[in-house]
Amino acid sequence: MKLARDNKVDDEIPTSSMADIAFLLIIYFMVTTTFTATRGLDFALPEDDDTPPVVEKEESVLIEIQPGGNIVVDQKPMELSGVLDYLRPKLEVNPKKPVIIRPDPETAYENMIKVLDELRQAKDKGFAEEIRISIPTQREIESFWY
Amino acid sequence: MKMKASKPLPETIPTSSMADIAFLLIIFFMLTITIEVDKTQVVLPKTTLRMEIPKKAAYVSLDSAGQVKVSNGEEISASVPPAEVFAFAAGVVATDPGKEFVLKADAGVPYRQVDEVIDSLKRAKVRIIYLLSDQKTVDSAG
Repeated sequence: MKLARDNKVDDEIPTSSMADIAFLLIIYFMVTTTFTATRGLDFALPEDDDTPPVVEKEESVLIEIQPGGNIVVDQKPMELSGVLDYLRPKLEVNPKKPVIIRPDPETAYENMIKVLDELRQAKDKGFAEEIRISIPTQREIESFWY
Repeated sequence: MKMKASKPLPETIPTSSMADIAFLLIIFFMLTITIEVDKTQVVLPKTTLRMEIPKKAAYVSLDSAGQVKVSNGEEISASVPPAEVFAFAAGVVATDPGKEFVLKADAGVPYRQVDEVIDSLKRAKVRIIYLLSDQKTVDSAG
């Protein structure tokens, strides 16, 4: 018996599954992409040297953060919302007056961040200049504080 | 004159361009994806002001248990004892004096631990740090 020869070879590249593969890859990228927090408060660190910083206590404003998060500004207990109002007249006289934040070692980190965030908003709230904020570390306090 | 009857239209949906569109999307995802160098799970403090952190910044993370992890911004973060943060930061600054550092600390950690990290970075002559935070919303403000 003679068999009929099949001479017709399909001359097309099969691309029907390419879209499936591509969409699988898209789904993979969409699932593995994580939305990360890539923003935060910037804080310039002063240069660390062996000479003590020339900041007189009387010339600066001292903000102490107690272990529970309460704020004491120049020995006066204060709400966080009232800190900028307290600083306004002082900084109008001397815009370069440094403001020192001194958190208690046992207070939560977020309490320091709240104060720093509030002070950094000074210019948005009508202050002429950015507040000069200093956060001395415990080592600096022990070395240079008087 | 006699007009020829038109040929019947093919009954298929044209899908040839679907792969092109899909590959365009893949290229978009591949270009925009950023590799997260630090995957430490922390509850970040919330702030109103939030600045964009430069890509490739070095990371120092501090979780609620007080564990410290560091990354130079290119490699995945690794745990180190708190006392070694200075050596790590000094090494990074020696290579790139203008390198920015990100401090990713849990909102609830005692400030003492954060203070030790900041002090190490100061001694290593780091110029600028970013305190990683979440956006403060009206709900979180209350």
